[in-house]
Amino acid sequence: MIEALFEGLTLVLQWKPLAFMMLGIVLGFWVGLLPGLGGATTLALMLPFIYAMQPVEAFAFLLGMHAVVATTGDITSVLFGVPGEAASAATILDGHAMAKKGEAGRALGAALASSLVGAIVGAFALALAIPMVRPLVLTFGSPELFMLAIVGIAFIASLSAPGVRGMVRGFLSGGLGLLCATVGQDPQAGIARYTFDSLYLWGGLDLVPVLVGIFAIPEIVDLAIRRTSIAGTLPAGRVSKGALEGVKDTFRHFWLTIRCSLIGTFIGIMPGMGGAVAQWMAYGHATQSARNAEERKGFGAGDVRGVLGPGAANNSKEGGSLIPTVAFGVPGSTAMAILLGGFFLLGLVPGPDMLTKHLPVTFSMVWTIVIANVVTVIACFLFLDHLARVTTVRGTVLIPVILVLIFIGSYTSNNHYGDILLTLVFGGIGYLMVVAGWPRAPFVLGLVLGKIAENYLYISVARYDAAWLTRPVVLVLIAIALAVIFWPLVQRRRRAAHA
Amino acid sequence: MHSKASLALALGVMAVSGYAVVAAWFWPWKAALFPLVIGIPLFMLSAAEAAWVLFGKTERGVVQDFQIARDVPEREVVRRSAAAVAWIVGFFAGIVLFGFALAVPLFVFLYLKLQAKEGWIFSAAFTAGVWAFFYGLFDRLLHLPFPAGWALSWLS
Amino acid sequence: MRLVLAVIAALAAAPASAQYYAGKTLTIVVGYKTGGGYDATARVLARHLPKHIPGKPTVIVQNMPGANSIIAANHVYAVAKPDGLTIGTFNRNLPIAQLTKVEGVKFDMAKFAWVGSAASECTVLAIRTDLPYKTFEELRKSKQQIVIGATGPGANTYDFPLLLKEFLGVNIKLVSGYQSSADIMLAVERKEVDGRAGSFTSIRPFIDRNLVRPLLRARATEPGVENLPIDEDLAPTPRAKAIMALRSAPEVVGRPYVMHPNTPPEHLKTMREAFAAAIKDPELVAESKKAKMDLEFVNGDVAVKVMNEVLSQPKDIVDEFSKYIKFGE
Repeated sequence: MIEALFEGLTLVLQWKPLAFMMLGIVLGFWVGLLPGLGGATTLALMLPFIYAMQPVEAFAFLLGMHAVVATTGDITSVLFGVPGEAASAATILDGHAMAKKGEAGRALGAALASSLVGAIVGAFALALAIPMVRPLVLTFGSPELFMLAIVGIAFIASLSAPGVRGMVRGFLSGGLGLLCATVGQDPQAGIARYTFDSLYLWGGLDLVPVLVGIFAIPEIVDLAIRRTSIAGTLPAGRVSKGALEGVKDTFRHFWLTIRCSLIGTFIGIMPGMGGAVAQWMAYGHATQSARNAEERKGFGAGDVRGVLGPGAANNSKEGGSLIPTVAFGVPGSTAMAILLGGFFLLGLVPGPDMLTKHLPVTFSMVWTIVIANVVTVIACFLFLDHLARVTTVRGTVLIPVILVLIFIGSYTSNNHYGDILLTLVFGGIGYLMVVAGWPRAPFVLGLVLGKIAENYLYISVARYDAAWLTRPVVLVLIAIALAVIFWPLVQRRRRAAHA
Repeated sequence: MHSKASLALALGVMAVSGYAVVAAWFWPWKAALFPLVIGIPLFMLSAAEAAWVLFGKTERGVVQDFQIARDVPEREVVRRSAAAVAWIVGFFAGIVLFGFALAVPLFVFLYLKLQAKEGWIFSAAFTAGVWAFFYGLFDRLLHLPFPAGWALSWLS
Repeated sequence: MRLVLAVIAALAAAPASAQYYAGKTLTIVVGYKTGGGYDATARVLARHLPKHIPGKPTVIVQNMPGANSIIAANHVYAVAKPDGLTIGTFNRNLPIAQLTKVEGVKFDMAKFAWVGSAASECTVLAIRTDLPYKTFEELRKSKQQIVIGATGPGANTYDFPLLLKEFLGVNIKLVSGYQSSADIMLAVERKEVDGRAGSFTSIRPFIDRNLVRPLLRARATEPGVENLPIDEDLAPTPRAKAIMALRSAPEVVGRPYVMHPNTPPEHLKTMREAFAAAIKDPELVAESKKAKMDLEFVNGDVAVKVMNEVLSQPKDIVDEFSKYIKFGE
């Protein structure tokens, strides 16, 4: 095992794979940064170039690119409040709030440092898990995946404000997300649900336009109202310091970062959970780490832990999501589906052999993700302080640029005007939610988990009748879901006892 | 202001979930189960929230989200957000009417000139930069299908 | 005299169309997002087509996803110009959508200018190798229930086993709701389901790994499964046979390529020749072999025949068919 780990490293640490990796990193950097450029689309465009490469070189190139997309997507989220990628939206809540307080540098530092920790922890967790990863994945059948979605939905409770009123609004927001997830043709009866005879809505609500609307539009309106720069009236000098502070934050909350990394890896390994889920579950977990109301208050208003959690999960999940692709030939995301195409082109057969005979090749991929992150983070730190200065540019000049990027970014998801319309509608809803004091995070959780929950529930019942409820892992997950819901209450009870 | 917004949202969710439940009622049960299981409690919760806003105390709990422009007077907030919404919707209308290729520079330039009150030279140069970036990347390099605007296809 | 005229016309047409495509951009509109089979085929073709079109135009791929390709098909049928510069590639089941009068269909599949199909799509039923059934007959006679995983109505993972259950009396429990055919494969591996139906291309890696064994196929075939029994041959009644045949008919035209109905015939001819030549191109063959996709050109005339066959079904067959099959995916 250990030899394979190092053999994998030596495979990557040769000048050709490294050179291709650098090329991939440079490309991925921009793809992640720009909302209109999706990671999956770019991978598809790059696929023809790998014919002439050796497997290790090709994956250094493709994975180097893919790993960086997730990292630099967070930069856009922090600076502009626009999700650079669908999977980096959770960083907006606290990351952008920090930028508005003049702590853009610190938020970026925290996001990048936690990404790095996430990538490394994820890689090592994977290395340790390799012997049991096949049984692990096979243990999680449809009933378990359904319960995993329920655990995710249960995080709505910890993402809501305390008190009955706060809970009601949290569940309203989450419920609305779940309801939105039912739009489109259903996979049981083939009924077109809530499509209003519109062809565009057949496939359901696309995640990117909705996320862009609900997060970016309120920020733009806010910026237009304030008529200042993003960081308000703070002087440039203050804003551009603090990247190092963000790194220190990562170590200040080291265990949180590690836990969120492990959450990310785990969700990544689970096939079919999708990239967006990991970040939001990590965010939910980060809010739980607040011990009292005073500590909780900062979340959403620029608490650095709200950046560290999603940042860590965002990158650790990439290593994890390699597993179903490599070991079973079952891609967990569009990007992974395209990578799978790359496997065939290179003559590699995904399957159990990749975890035994070809283990070094698998590890070389994990190493690529780690090294690509190290390189990106170091490169970013060189001009992070300059990047942060963007938040002191006059808002009136930034707004048209951000709007153009938002509109193109949402339009590229289906190349249809409906995408932009969706962004505008959910922009309006997002704005009202912010003004009304309804939390937006539960909505996203509902939206990303709704379909998963529905499908796997039907499969579980159709396959096992009621017997699925007695499966051991299901019981454990039920307990976890209950713990997630009641944890905030327990905390309050404990606090009351102290007082 | 937040109580009004909350009322509006609650009524909106009531309408949406009410419609969702009524529409789902006539579907085969397999398609209807989930919308009903979500829709019915959602309707009741939103009714509760609406009643709360109308008859309850106006207290603001701890919200885990940012708050819009706290230091700007409320009337100004309404005026400025209306302007922002008009710009955003106007941009979309411009795209539909004139297509991306024309609407993007038009919007950027007009916004800089009228809203940001920048100078002619800066506005023109900045617009040219944004347009070159947009055109080079999304049109030339990525070949995104940008449909021609309605206004232009009427003319031809 | 007529022959001479024809020769002159042919001679005149060749350089004319060479001039026509020179310096122009040919767009392939794909009815799906990046990352799937239709998109991958289009991108391989886009790389190799220019060599075989006189004038060597630039060929680009644009994705226009939504409503399982209906949006893209409506676009090519009505919005795109009939100038031979836009080719669409859509869901093969669009004729079914037209036949069952799906809301929003604004095209007539038989009227498109058909370039042809780049591949046929063979649907097979495969079950786990550790099950005792070696042939389809054994499975059918055993009367034991087997669990088949599926994505949803309208996909071949769902429709193919559904008809087997309805007409051939196979004791199938159909479990639907998996997010992709790859997810069903994982369910097969963890023994949640016993097997699945689907395109041979997507199942083949798992057959090679000896995880599943193919038992039955639909009409369209590919090298490797020619000898499997065919579903419609086993149909007990002519009516059942007609319905099974109707389901599988579009699969002969597995990767359809069409142009606007009013495209000038000379452009259509150029394209048909270009596609036929490109698909035989040794470089493309080597590439597609590596990518494990079998491309085989089916001429537009054959495709039009298939369309007419599907669209000319008598009403009672269509009504019965609609009871089982819904357009989707």
